[in-house]
Amino acid sequence: MAVIQEVARTRGAAPERRKGDGKAAALFLAPWFVGLILITAFPLVASLYLSFTDYSLLEAPGWIGLENYTRMFSDPRFFQALKVTFTYVLVSVPLQLAAALALAMVLDKGLRGLAFYRSVYYLPSLLGGSVAIAILWRQVFGADGLVNQVLGFFGIEGVGWVSHPDYALGTLMVLNVWTFGAPMIIFLAGLRQIPAMYYEAASIDGAGPWRRFRSITVPLLTPIIFFNLVLQLIGAFQSFTQAFIVSGGTGGPVDSTLFYTLYLYEKGFGSYQMGYASAMAWFLLLVVAGMTAVNFLASKFWVFYDD
Amino acid sequence: MTDAPARTEPRPASARPTLTEVAASYPERRPPRGRAWAAVRRVLRHVALIAFGLVMLYPLLWMLASSFKPTELIFREPGLIPTEWDFGNYTDGWNALLDPFGHYLLNSAIVVLGSVLGNLISCSMAAYAFARLKFRGRNLWFAVMLMSIMLPIHVIIVPQYILFSSLSWINTFLPLIVPKLLATDAFFVFLMVQFFRGIPKDLDEAARLDGCGHVRIFLRIMLPLSLPALATTAIFTFIWTWNDFFSQLIFLTKPDMYTVPIALRTFVDATSNSSWGPLFAMSIVSLIPVFLVFLFGQKYLVKGIATTGIK
Amino acid sequence: MRVTATRATRRRGAALVALTAAGALALTACSGGDSGIVPSDEGGDDGGNVEIRFAWWGSDDRHKTTQQIIDLFEEKNPGITVVPDYTDWDGYWDKLATATAGGDTPDVITQEERYLSDYASRGVIGEMTGVDTSKIADDILSTGEVDGKLVGIPTGVNAYAMVADPQIFADAGVDMPDDKTWTWDDYVDIAGKISKGAGDGVWGAQDYGFNEAGLNVLARQKGETLYNEDGTLGVSKETVAEFFQTSLDLMANGGQPDASRSVEYQNAGPEGSLLGTNAGAMGVWWSNQLGALSDASGHELELLRLPGESQFDRTGMYFKPAMYYSISAKTKHPEESAKLVDFLLNDPEVAKLQLTDRGLPANESVREAILPDLTAADQKVADFMADLEPDIVDNPAVPPSGANEIQDIMIRINTEVLFERMTPDEAADAFLKDVGAAIGG
Repeated sequence: MAVIQEVARTRGAAPERRKGDGKAAALFLAPWFVGLILITAFPLVASLYLSFTDYSLLEAPGWIGLENYTRMFSDPRFFQALKVTFTYVLVSVPLQLAAALALAMVLDKGLRGLAFYRSVYYLPSLLGGSVAIAILWRQVFGADGLVNQVLGFFGIEGVGWVSHPDYALGTLMVLNVWTFGAPMIIFLAGLRQIPAMYYEAASIDGAGPWRRFRSITVPLLTPIIFFNLVLQLIGAFQSFTQAFIVSGGTGGPVDSTLFYTLYLYEKGFGSYQMGYASAMAWFLLLVVAGMTAVNFLASKFWVFYDD
Repeated sequence: MTDAPARTEPRPASARPTLTEVAASYPERRPPRGRAWAAVRRVLRHVALIAFGLVMLYPLLWMLASSFKPTELIFREPGLIPTEWDFGNYTDGWNALLDPFGHYLLNSAIVVLGSVLGNLISCSMAAYAFARLKFRGRNLWFAVMLMSIMLPIHVIIVPQYILFSSLSWINTFLPLIVPKLLATDAFFVFLMVQFFRGIPKDLDEAARLDGCGHVRIFLRIMLPLSLPALATTAIFTFIWTWNDFFSQLIFLTKPDMYTVPIALRTFVDATSNSSWGPLFAMSIVSLIPVFLVFLFGQKYLVKGIATTGIK
Repeated sequence: MRVTATRATRRRGAALVALTAAGALALTACSGGDSGIVPSDEGGDDGGNVEIRFAWWGSDDRHKTTQQIIDLFEEKNPGITVVPDYTDWDGYWDKLATATAGGDTPDVITQEERYLSDYASRGVIGEMTGVDTSKIADDILSTGEVDGKLVGIPTGVNAYAMVADPQIFADAGVDMPDDKTWTWDDYVDIAGKISKGAGDGVWGAQDYGFNEAGLNVLARQKGETLYNEDGTLGVSKETVAEFFQTSLDLMANGGQPDASRSVEYQNAGPEGSLLGTNAGAMGVWWSNQLGALSDASGHELELLRLPGESQFDRTGMYFKPAMYYSISAKTKHPEESAKLVDFLLNDPEVAKLQLTDRGLPANESVREAILPDLTAADQKVADFMADLEPDIVDNPAVPPSGANEIQDIMIRINTEVLFERMTPDEAADAFLKDVGAAIGG
């Protein structure tokens, strides 16, 4: 078990401090910094300013103070959007990550035709949000769709998976798990960075597959798991395309797929209340930033860096 | 990979045996197993993978089938095998818009290549700083970077439009490419930070002892060793930019400049006749480049440390 | 070497901070679209050549014919270049709003009734002058007036009508109704009979409750209207409840599909609709969609008046402008823009190219001229409209600002009704409250 102990010990090792990297940092960060000031900061600040105005897109904004923010808390659809989004995030992010990691493990090595499988499994993620996909979902998940035909074969009567208010959100979560391609690829790349000798040594030590997974793969993959977790979380809070496609942009049936960003978009571009939409966006930012901060703090206890 | 110092070099900072040394001290040996059982397991695994693959492939097969159906049959006969084959969708679709479809493919290719190049260079540089350099406010800057992807595009795009409009960049590819050259895609910066941090630090410590500066360490050690991360970045940037609709819609106003996602949208309109057959045909055509990039790009995904010779 | 790089970065950084501050100023100043700080790239006046931008929505056919029309216009008007700017319906409004915010409003803007007030009341589109409107009937032209000013000129007209598939009627052994006398009860009855007669998977009618136009017709039949002239709601709670009740009656007698299927058909557009897939005998559509429906179904479809036209106080059907041409209030080239609109509306060659693509032409002399060139389906539309015209009492006023939200409200509340999560009474209350908030706020 020497290897495993070695990994475990390195996890606790404190990073060494070094001085005098400031100039090099300025060099490496120069493009990023220019981008931050020129491209990122202005829209960020502008949207914060607009969140205190009655901006309609079509007219100059007028300052209304905190009105947009207080209005949010008396808007029932805002709470519906929060509920939908939180349900979606809490269920689909862990599911998708688990599916992605499991498939990445299966597709990592030791099988003939891996390149083929990887490509095929990534395909659904390639299709993106084109109009064609909207038709497809209806054809697959409709009341007379493929899923129900298969269920009917087993004597089960299906429902309208995307058109019934009680099932639409669940269907979207399944759809999301199904497009696990991006995190899967990132996991794969991460797996490939784990030096093979760790496994060889552990095998020689007599560690079984599960023990190798628990003690080598997981700890060495934690930076990548952490990355996927943080980014999928940020992304899931901003889920838009699939709900937009499935509901024709309404968040329907009856607001059951009214994702936060969808509602915000509807307010900003549909009702010309960009001020309110900006306030909603900044509220979202606070929530997501809070969750990400918690994530980072918690990461000290489980993410292992070799530095 | 002769530039990379081998892990077995003695480390000055500590006297612990390295993992490699531990590993090397064991003789090569494999536990015996039942061959027949292994074969059965292998076959079962493939059967499961193929069955699962069919589920994953279904959408594409359906799109492909639809692209060969006359528009009016796509909805009436949703099955996989067309009862009536219509190859005209491809020629119609190619020529349906003001420019032949190849024009839009070319526009998309320009935007995508610019973005890929931009992201590869700028994000990896920023990531190196965040992963390996100590400087004041590092955590703060990192947090600021992450914050920039927490606001939905829909409230960002209007100020961005005003900004780019004041630079007279509207209706050029600049608003789509320049931000990538300036590492505004925090996703990839963070991705590479995580990969860089996974590279054993003894490597650059050793290089520093050999007198390498940061630029050399970055170019000769970090980049080659994070090929999977670079490949991931390139492939994702390609796919996501290729499929990105909203910003391209907003920033490109002249039809000459339209890219594939915008061109595809002009086949269908909620208020008038839609050309579904040509839409499916051109959707298939526009998938070919992304699929090829993925197919050929993915072999770089698997060239990690495991295969680049740090043994 | 590194030191120089750092210094350069620092200096550039300072310059950029300054730039950002300028940008922030630009935002506050220019959002109305008339900032001097934001240059607009539409006014290239080099060598007497004027460039104007013309924006519209649609699909590939419309883009191609419109480009031909633009070529024709440029040929006849040397010195004016028209830059096309088109996309699909959804993308169009996002793009137009963003361009307006950035001060880059197109010169000639295609508009729709639900958005006309939003843009007119905020001064984005101006009063139309210099366009010959003499060939357009007054009651149609007046549908482009907001606050007494003509801000949009109707391109053509549509009617909200019942589309019926005679073949499915025949298969089900049901006679086609007399559309001048049939009542809403007859409609429910006939749909139920068709469902029974035509067998599994074929229904009498597609649910009509997702579109407010049907409600407007019913309201008008009862002497009410959806929106009053002054932009308030003009429909009573009883009428709204009655409107939703019809859907429930149709579900109860099997005349229309269950709630889930209704939602799915609603999302599927003309091509995927009940009529388009030969799965139903009736559906309520805008008259210009007859062509798409006929193509999709492969059957020869007919247009009927909506039920109830002789049931109550008066007739409720009306002509709705398919779209409007408007001109940006901030255009640098009002004359050239007006010239283009005039050409689009009045030139017989334009009409021959686009036929009924932007509705049955509002210009009556032009309408006459294209009749012989129409497809069979469009011919039917023209005949139907001609037959209907004498029985139309008046055309409704332009919907007030915020009216574009009614689309989503209607879909949401109707779905609640179909899934029986709201009674028609509750739905009527919710409708009046939500629409009231949208157009009041």
